[in-house]
Amino acid sequence: MAAVSFEGVSKRYGEVVALDALDLEVREGEFVSLLGPSGSGKSTTLNLLAGLMDADAGVIRIGGRDVTALPPERRDIAMVFQNYALYPHLTVFENMAFPLEARKPKPAASAIRAKVEQVAGVLGIGMLLARYPKEISGGQQQRVALGRAMVRDPTVFLLDEPLSNLDARLRIRMRRDLKALHHAIGSTIVYVTHDQAEAMTLSSRIAVFDHGRLQQYATPAEIYDRPANVFVANFVGDRETNFLDGSLSAEGEELAFASALGRVPLGRPRGALDARGPLRLGVRPEAVGVLPDPDAPLRVTLAELSGADLFLTIRAADGLEVVARADPRATRVAEGDGVRLAFDPSRLHLFDAGTGVAIAHGT
Amino acid sequence: MHGLILRRRIGRGLVNLLIAGFALFPILWGLSSSLKPTERIVEFPPRLLPDEPTLEHYARIFQDDAAFYILNSGLVSAATVVLTLILGALGGYALARYDFRGRSLTMMATVAVMSIPIASLLVPTFTLISVLGLYDTRLGLVLLYTAYQLPAAIWMLYGYFMSLPVELENAARVDGCSPTRTLRKVVLPLSKPGLVAAALFILVFAWNDFVVAVTMTSSQEVRTFPVAIYFYLGFYGREWGPLLAASLVSIVPIIAVFVFLQRYFMSGLTGGGVKG
Repeated sequence: MAAVSFEGVSKRYGEVVALDALDLEVREGEFVSLLGPSGSGKSTTLNLLAGLMDADAGVIRIGGRDVTALPPERRDIAMVFQNYALYPHLTVFENMAFPLEARKPKPAASAIRAKVEQVAGVLGIGMLLARYPKEISGGQQQRVALGRAMVRDPTVFLLDEPLSNLDARLRIRMRRDLKALHHAIGSTIVYVTHDQAEAMTLSSRIAVFDHGRLQQYATPAEIYDRPANVFVANFVGDRETNFLDGSLSAEGEELAFASALGRVPLGRPRGALDARGPLRLGVRPEAVGVLPDPDAPLRVTLAELSGADLFLTIRAADGLEVVARADPRATRVAEGDGVRLAFDPSRLHLFDAGTGVAIAHGT
Repeated sequence: MHGLILRRRIGRGLVNLLIAGFALFPILWGLSSSLKPTERIVEFPPRLLPDEPTLEHYARIFQDDAAFYILNSGLVSAATVVLTLILGALGGYALARYDFRGRSLTMMATVAVMSIPIASLLVPTFTLISVLGLYDTRLGLVLLYTAYQLPAAIWMLYGYFMSLPVELENAARVDGCSPTRTLRKVVLPLSKPGLVAAALFILVFAWNDFVVAVTMTSSQEVRTFPVAIYFYLGFYGREWGPLLAASLVSIVPIIAVFVFLQRYFMSGLTGGGVKG
């Protein structure tokens, strides 16, 4: 049984379509990220699921139950907000006990205390219970917000960019803690983020949104290796994907891509390649090989060393730029050097240049 | 200490003293006069301090049942504050958080009503109150005061609720609270400064009101303190001693409430001092 399902759910604000006929299913125990830039519809989706907004059309189910018309308090969900939304007039203990106190019938005080202390123990915030939210650090507030959600043992956890207010190091640590927590409690989690790295590392599946539409819904590996369209290819990944416009040129059995950078051999890509119209080739920086060649018309204009990686920006005479990721210990290339490029055919993506939809992938 | 800083401090102190003196002089003069025997109050040239202070005027007003009138005023004021706050909080919250048909019209009407002078409403409300059988009752006064103060209360509380982060209410809803429980457990506790500021505002009006009370009541049983004070400006001339003594007594409860609630009041005036 699906823990959460959206069936043709739409939401408009006046003329603006915030969410357009969304179909999405989250299985029991899955960690699903809703990924997209701001205004893409991911937060709208979460708010609709929480009941903080009403859908204009469609059906939302939680645990098989139609909750479309139910107010938030009757949906049996728990939510962690971006700014934590801890009640400032209540102590950490009272904050965590709050959802239990609101329950009907109200559990016994001893049962509430036991549950709060148990969850506080799991999260390592047992010593903070008597403090007020403003007296503890951002990371601790984050844990309290998580704890307030956990005491309820809800059908689904909703997390709205919970890590975005933390500094970079703490964010990566909390990311690991969150993943470990998910393994430990095995709950269904719906997680909203605009950070593709968070979505990649945490999720069982990622739903990529743009302009109110679900662009692709698949595992992180699938999303990364076989992006459904130009938007997904570009949005997911530490660095932007390189795109080249051109067309197919067949030479016997071998297919190639003719572009401003010359002829790119495609090997034998999977998928039907009868498209003859204008195409767009996507290639991630790590699939671009760089070979020194003083006579080549391409020049390295920027070399960025990040420690583990060396990112090279290479410019052709007509201004076209390609970014390549290279191993700094194996690459002897400096800014201004002439280079030749070699694309790994197994990691190329072909898109329809008009619609942006993927036609074929190297793998 | 540096001479310049010292001089600036002294200068600032003098200015403050001047302003305070200007504001307080009538009250201090009243206090001084209320402690003088009757024949000395209007003597010329006037004396700043009574040479033989007496409490006879204070004794007199309490013989005249001042305590009863104070109790009346207190009852009417307290009931007005409670009723206005309840209605004002509900109205302000609805305007701040719910989008309903006629919302902006309601807001505009609320503001517009505040600009109608109460004096112009006296005649029609007198008729209304009489028809309702509420003439010369405490309930009639409470309802009228509430009606007069409700727009201001709604407006003040609306502004305060708008300054609260809406996520807290969303969190409460998701945590299992109905809208009313959310209001009770989250919104109102966080709105204490706003509620206190509004309460003081209403209290000062209800406690000090003379015009409405003198129009809408006649019997001694429901007489409020400001009306009772007015009776010292009687048929047989002005009784300055009891008049001043009663006026000073009437200030005391308000000052006491202000002092007691000062910390809330100040943060209420600066608005929304609540962390998200």
